[in-house]
Amino acid sequence: MLQRIRNAPPRYWLVVVVILFFVGWPTVISSFQTSEWSQAIILAIAIMGLNILVGYSGQLSLGHGAFMALGAYTSAILAHRYKVDYLVTIPIAGVLTGLVGFLFGVPALRLSPLYLALATFALAVVTPSLIKRPAELTGGVQGISLTPPDPPQFAADGFGALTGTVMTSDQWIYYVSLAYALLLFWLAWNLVRHRSGRAMRAIRDGEVAAAASGVNIAGYKTLAFGISALYAGIAGSLFGLATSFVSPDTFPVSLSIQLLVGAVVGGLASIPGPLVGGIFAYFLPIESNQWVPAQTWIPSQIASAVVKAGPAVSYGVVLILIMIFAPNGIVGLITTGYTRLRRRLRGAADREAGQMPPDPQTIS
Amino acid sequence: MSAAPLLEMEDVRAGYGPTSVLHGISLSVPEGEIVSLLGANGAGKTTTLRAITSGVHWSGHIRFAGKSLSKMRTEDVVRSGIAHVPEGRGILTELTVEENLKLGSHLRRDGAAVRKDYDRVFEYFPVLRERRRLSASTLSGGEQQMLAVARALLMRPKLMLLDEPSLGLAPMIVRSIFEIIKAINQADRVAVLLVEQNARLALDISSQAYVLEVGRIAVKGASAELQGNESVRRSYLGY
Amino acid sequence: MQGLLQQVISGIATGGIFASLALALVLIYNAMGLVNFAQGEMAMLATFVAFTLIEHGMSYWIAFPVSLVIAFAGGILIQRIVIRPIERAPILTMVIVTLGLATLVNGLAGFIFGYVPRSFPSPFSVQTVDILGAFVSYRDIGVIAVSAVVLLAIYLLLQRTTVGLTLRAAAHHPEASRLLGVQVSWMLALGWGLASAVGAVSGIMAAPILLLEPNMMQTIIIYAFAAAVLGGIESPLGAVVGGLIVGVTVNLAGTYLPFVGGDLQLAVALAIIVGVLILKPNGLFGRPSVRRV
Repeated sequence: MLQRIRNAPPRYWLVVVVILFFVGWPTVISSFQTSEWSQAIILAIAIMGLNILVGYSGQLSLGHGAFMALGAYTSAILAHRYKVDYLVTIPIAGVLTGLVGFLFGVPALRLSPLYLALATFALAVVTPSLIKRPAELTGGVQGISLTPPDPPQFAADGFGALTGTVMTSDQWIYYVSLAYALLLFWLAWNLVRHRSGRAMRAIRDGEVAAAASGVNIAGYKTLAFGISALYAGIAGSLFGLATSFVSPDTFPVSLSIQLLVGAVVGGLASIPGPLVGGIFAYFLPIESNQWVPAQTWIPSQIASAVVKAGPAVSYGVVLILIMIFAPNGIVGLITTGYTRLRRRLRGAADREAGQMPPDPQTIS
Repeated sequence: MSAAPLLEMEDVRAGYGPTSVLHGISLSVPEGEIVSLLGANGAGKTTTLRAITSGVHWSGHIRFAGKSLSKMRTEDVVRSGIAHVPEGRGILTELTVEENLKLGSHLRRDGAAVRKDYDRVFEYFPVLRERRRLSASTLSGGEQQMLAVARALLMRPKLMLLDEPSLGLAPMIVRSIFEIIKAINQADRVAVLLVEQNARLALDISSQAYVLEVGRIAVKGASAELQGNESVRRSYLGY
Repeated sequence: MQGLLQQVISGIATGGIFASLALALVLIYNAMGLVNFAQGEMAMLATFVAFTLIEHGMSYWIAFPVSLVIAFAGGILIQRIVIRPIERAPILTMVIVTLGLATLVNGLAGFIFGYVPRSFPSPFSVQTVDILGAFVSYRDIGVIAVSAVVLLAIYLLLQRTTVGLTLRAAAHHPEASRLLGVQVSWMLALGWGLASAVGAVSGIMAAPILLLEPNMMQTIIIYAFAAAVLGGIESPLGAVVGGLIVGVTVNLAGTYLPFVGGDLQLAVALAIIVGVLILKPNGLFGRPSVRRV
């Protein structure tokens, strides 16, 4: 056992450090900031789901905001109308959304990636209208308000004992989200490493060849859809928890774009990518409004322009630049940089020099 | 005093990614002559033509009418006076026969000469006139080959690159196409670099020949001599 | 009966708007196998340009073609700067880039012009004229007329001119076209310019009806998707026919189906998209796609 710890590659230690960081983080930041980080983590969960679909099985969905909405509203309706304990609703929302996603996956099989993107994009645009309609159930335009839960006794006691402060509702929600994130990321990691993951990647890289090797294309593709929807559903449910409110306007098409941006920027077909992507997708719009004007070294005209142009321009520019220069996202840049560094240190010739840049789906 | 050749290839290497197909070949095509490039499948004949029109990465020297073709884009090489009928004929099947032909002549500015050339084209290949408004995809293999050659003629090139014009065609059609190639060469003084597996036919109409074997020139000389040399015929040309 | 006729004609007018944008999508799809998710936003920006020109005193009928020219140039610019670097990338990358472009253009418009909706002048009055007992507005007639002229012009350009021929050749057979001396790369840029100009027509026709603001085209692009998919994404004729069918259907559904109402008309578009893709994926005029050379 000790032997295995000593031989674990440095990557595993990095993971441990990151986990410890996130566990301890709320103790040093304010409650409000904790709530923000909750939302970033929640986005990361949804992005992980999207990543499984896009990065690993090669199907492009622009409608994951719709799945998040489904998860959020399922939980909200169960909690608000039927008085179910919110925490219980989270897995229910996830499973329901996963099933719907799986069913979606069936007709999606017949669509080329382009048509799938088109159809899911249309879905994302229509989603707010679809939510508003059954106003009795969904609260229509006004949405559903939820009361944030108090931390249960055992958690409050534990937190109090460790930090000496009273656990706030925001902090409790953070830990719930973190727990789900850890669980779901670990599941994704296992999925990718084992047979299903390899099957999906084979499909992504070439369906004809995969079919020739006996891979059950239809099965795995719909499975990928279902799993990715499950992640989005759980994320949506947690989102409702974190913001205590769901309404049709919480799930516009720009949410689906935001998820895609996060997935791409973080790095498609990577496990840490969605985490980086979630943090990026959540904080970029906020920071560009607050951080930039505070920097004295940026000329004021540029700063005010950046603030006015807002997240849309930044998202757009970032998306384009990344796809042109770093299609494997930030994680891809880091891994390639790291591998190159290692090779140079060990004196091996850099075999990658002079080749075409990898397309976004080659790193695994 | 012999004039400089129209096309000169010197020590050309070319390949696809890490695989090298041509290992340093040199050949030349004099103005107004038909030159055959022969060899078995996989010897590199198609790659040679592709190198000339920048369809593949190559190193070495390729000069056309004295100008180096290195680093030129395909369309610019073509615009400088080389027509390339590729393997598979390159017919634009989404367009009609007439539109295909128009793409042959679309770069030319000499209206009267273009009209005369259309007349000649329809004289050589009457079936093209009959079918000119139909989609090019309705043509048979032989007819598509005719369209490809007609289109190349309409370009009024100085040099024509033909990649296996006989492939998959009935012998009678092949013979008539070869006769027309010869006629074009004599009437317009168009030089031709002819890649062929059918060595006999190629040697019949060409004045010089090169034999490629696994990426290198194994034999070269006047076509008549190669035809007369039985051991060359047996070892390299298959008959 | 008159009410039905009125709705149909009104639907044809909106159909003309959809058809123009759908045609733009088809042009780019034919050139690159790519659906340009930014087409609507580009049209919106061009419409803002038209608005600015008119605000500064230019007459409508001069500002209109001038904006089309500017949109044309803009389309070429976008192709050269943003699209060309990723020409050989997989479809996924290109889709994501067009999405980024859409976000960028939308933000840019918001940045430059703000989000307050403005009314856009139309040379056609909303007065109605009596046709066969139905009251049809001059505006609807105007939209139909302008759309028809533009679509016809594109048709003539593509089918009857040498430029149009080389455009089509480069779009369907890039490699074979190169061997005929066609400068494929420039043809692609030209295609983008043309698509941008045609899309701009859609925006300028839509603005008087919808009110001009950065998010104006976001619903229209969905209708245009439906039109293009219904007509067959490779067929310019399909885009026109599809646009008309979608326009009329959505209008009639909104008027006569009580549960659809005004706000779920978009869902009708979604239903059309999904229905067509499942039942007849190649649309009305499309053919099963063949590998291009």
